[in-house]
Amino acid sequence: MAALEFLTIAEASKLIATRKLSPVELTEACLARIEALDHLLDSFVTLTAERARAEAKAAEATIMASGPVSRMHGIPYCLKDIYDTAGIRTTGMSRTLADNVPTRDSYCTEKLVAAGGVLLGKNATWEFAHGGPSWDVLFPPARNPWNRDYSPAGSSSGSGAAIAAGFAPATLGTDTGGSIRSPAAACGIAGLKPTYGLVSRRGVIPNCFSHDHAGPLAWTTEDVAILMQVIAGYDPEDPGCANVPIPDYTAALTGDVNGLVIGVPANWLETDNPPTPATKAAFEAALDVFRGLGATVRPVTMPPLQQFDDCKKTIAVAELFTIHAADLRARPELFGDSLRYRIIAGGLVRAEEYILAMRMRTDLARAMQAVMATVDVLMLPTNEPAGKLEPIPPASLFTRSSFTTPFNTGGNPALSVCCGFAANGMPFSLQIVGKLFDEPTVLRAGDAYEKATPWRDKRPVLVAKETA
Amino acid sequence: MTDSPSHDDIVLLARQAGLNLPPAYLQELVEAYGNVRQMIDRIPTGRPRGDEPAHVFVPTKFLPAGQ
Amino acid sequence: MDLPHDASRLDLSDPTSLGIAELGVAIRSGLLSPVTLTQACLDRIARYDNVLHSFITVTADRALASARAAEAEIAGGGYRGPFHGIPYALKDIVDVEGVPTTAHSRLMPDTPATADAHVTALLEHAGGILLGKLGTFEFALGGPSWDLPWPPPLNPWNTDFLPGGSSSGSGAAVAAGFVPAAIGTDTGGSVRWPAACCGIVGLKPTYGRISRRGVQPNTFSIDHCGPMTRTARDCAIMLAASAGYDPLDPGSADEPVPDYVAALSGDITGMRIGLIRNWYAGEATEEVTEAVDRAAALLATLGAIVEEVVLPDIGQYADAKTLISMSELYTIHAPDLRTRPEMFGAKLRQRVMGGVFIRAEDYLNAQRWRADLARGLNMQFSRFDALVTAGWLNAADPADPNGADFFRRGRNVTMPFSVAGVPSLSVPIGFGAHGLPLAMQVAGAPFAEATVLRIGHAYEQATEWHTRSPILHSGVSA
Repeated sequence: MAALEFLTIAEASKLIATRKLSPVELTEACLARIEALDHLLDSFVTLTAERARAEAKAAEATIMASGPVSRMHGIPYCLKDIYDTAGIRTTGMSRTLADNVPTRDSYCTEKLVAAGGVLLGKNATWEFAHGGPSWDVLFPPARNPWNRDYSPAGSSSGSGAAIAAGFAPATLGTDTGGSIRSPAAACGIAGLKPTYGLVSRRGVIPNCFSHDHAGPLAWTTEDVAILMQVIAGYDPEDPGCANVPIPDYTAALTGDVNGLVIGVPANWLETDNPPTPATKAAFEAALDVFRGLGATVRPVTMPPLQQFDDCKKTIAVAELFTIHAADLRARPELFGDSLRYRIIAGGLVRAEEYILAMRMRTDLARAMQAVMATVDVLMLPTNEPAGKLEPIPPASLFTRSSFTTPFNTGGNPALSVCCGFAANGMPFSLQIVGKLFDEPTVLRAGDAYEKATPWRDKRPVLVAKETA
Repeated sequence: MTDSPSHDDIVLLARQAGLNLPPAYLQELVEAYGNVRQMIDRIPTGRPRGDEPAHVFVPTKFLPAGQ
Repeated sequence: MDLPHDASRLDLSDPTSLGIAELGVAIRSGLLSPVTLTQACLDRIARYDNVLHSFITVTADRALASARAAEAEIAGGGYRGPFHGIPYALKDIVDVEGVPTTAHSRLMPDTPATADAHVTALLEHAGGILLGKLGTFEFALGGPSWDLPWPPPLNPWNTDFLPGGSSSGSGAAVAAGFVPAAIGTDTGGSVRWPAACCGIVGLKPTYGRISRRGVQPNTFSIDHCGPMTRTARDCAIMLAASAGYDPLDPGSADEPVPDYVAALSGDITGMRIGLIRNWYAGEATEEVTEAVDRAAALLATLGAIVEEVVLPDIGQYADAKTLISMSELYTIHAPDLRTRPEMFGAKLRQRVMGGVFIRAEDYLNAQRWRADLARGLNMQFSRFDALVTAGWLNAADPADPNGADFFRRGRNVTMPFSVAGVPSLSVPIGFGAHGLPLAMQVAGAPFAEATVLRIGHAYEQATEWHTRSPILHSGVSA
């Protein structure tokens, strides 16, 4: 078998179910790798080794006695450090929450525990899932396993890095403007922003109530589907949660995309935010793979990209300010400079402006669903490959357009998968977007693509620093 | 659209928002608000009265669990 | 005084004195022609409405044409149901294709509306006969106002007094017997307050029960359309005709519509009723307090288990609602405020302007507050089948342009059920000084309109308030 730490959830769960692999072995392998190599990446901010060992042992016993209760039984996972974990500090990477220890698990945490998962620890994030890579917050920023001088993007930075590095096969991040898909893209892995309301946000520190999504990152789309099966479901305690039937996500991975109609937002790619030639080539090559599998590709026209950013960011800056208002007023110095800059002006936004932005959202959401009615999926690059890890000018949040934000605005499911590597070794990314609640089609497309390409064969190489 | 607020205007707006900031942070706010203001100015206005914001109030969401 | 099964026992000499239920029985049996009925209503309006000013537009020709069509259809065996041939009118913020919507304002164009509101379409489909558009506070907010193109409606019980608002014309028209059925809208109390002042039944249903499409908005997240009628049974009939899912209204609820009329069993034995006395005792006038206490006692003698319950001060609900409303109202009217503020009536302009400085944080915190208040109120429905409190804290206000502005008081007893979005029915419970009506509210859990109507109906059957009518005076013709 492959090195234990590079097993996917799918592979590991099969071995565990047939008693060929013990959860204890798998957990020890992950912990050992983290202990040996995470000093290079800072992807974990809290390691729960004792708990992990106890959970692994208990999982082993139960599985030996009566078999696994789920495909996540005995599988190690980690959580972006904004998911509440009872008794374990949950900091949002912020000095304002340095001593925060929740008393109740988040909904997703509960689901993973019930599924028999093994918690390895909490992952680095941008401060409050918003503040950009920062050197003045509670912990140092996470790094990209493909090249530690490069950024793993964010805000689920540690989660993306941990998966790519083989520290854990499973993690959960959150996505408000791209924060699952960007690290998935930068780290060459799979990451899904589900449909808004499909996964409960209860017990997740909020960024923007009306645009937040909880979702999985993993090495493959198949693993993402396995995680979705565990976490999707109605939670009456989350007022945004949708009460919809949950399909069998892994059964949807038939490998068949013959006849799939793929829309490409031509105006975004040609006018609004043209990708670099290398990124464009990687994207076109990915489309060719789909054509080879029997899909058809056609251009579609979307509202201008900047409108989605303006709309989302106006709403978000007001909601973020409101969430952090008490601390902004009483102890603004405890925030990192980047986060504070990004949210403080939210206090000056007027209700009329917020409501106008919400009216704009109605228009944009309607337009998006009208386009989605004409295709099965949209495809476009997720992002340019990762850049160097350095402070981002905080103003760039307001001035840059992104290919990820529009699907927070519309709420559509959006998956990022690896679609190759640039000359400097950093991954290219492909975004696959579906109709509302049509995760099955999105996941089917991602899985089919991965199985038709060699990108899943290659892992980043990490070499421990020599100790002084 | 409308005139951009001056530095003094922003100090007043900040005070109204309950933000009593030291000079360095105030400068941050002035600059950040400039960016936010540019964004807000691009949000369409002058809409017909009936154009509804993307929010929905669902009364049953506030029932105790199990009802 | 239950509904006679035998239509021949109805006194049809003055059909404008009958309610929807009796009229339906008479029409269905062929004993009363929809044309006769419509003409009688139009005659009554022509005779008395120049004193009451309840109508802005009377669609007489259209009404008679509709009535003739209904008569023919019914005679040909095509009876549509209990609303077929029933005259009704709409608060003049509800669109009717081909008829201008004035919103009682200079700001609205003269051009006719291009499509029916959803509620209009449903009532037309049910066979209703539209008699016209009714006076309202300007855009359901700015009133009572004497500086608008049409005068404010007056209270039929005593024209020295006002009929409440903002569905002022709706309340007056039903109380005056001009129509047995009217649609009002309710954001902070605008169906229930006029119902209380005019001695009729008015229902603010669950948020989303009746579509808001084609209705001028006041507050998107708190607006409700509601039926206003003479009795609870009539209200159930009209609700049945106007409730239902509309996918084009983002707030519309996809909930089944139960048989509201069948639920009027008349039996409320064992029903648990929470009396919210701290909302009225000590703040309402003495006559209101006594009337509501008496009504609660009567519910107990009818077999309900009435228990006092203390809820948060009404001011909290009012503040949360007002912050949300003012933010949304300002946004709705901002284009006109910026370009032609002089076209507003003074009260609308004043009430809307204040929203300009509300910050998004304040609006969001008000929404969070709303969530808390809604949850708190809904918890009561684990204990109680219904909640009862005063309908309004005082009887109708004097018709005095310089009188105290109810809006500045800021507190009222209808807001809490608006904030929670739960159904609340205003039910007449007596009369006070100056011959003015008094009312209670009966509120229930989301989508429990049937429960609320059953209680209102049982109370009504044990009392005679709903049999009284105001004596109208015709004005001197010009």
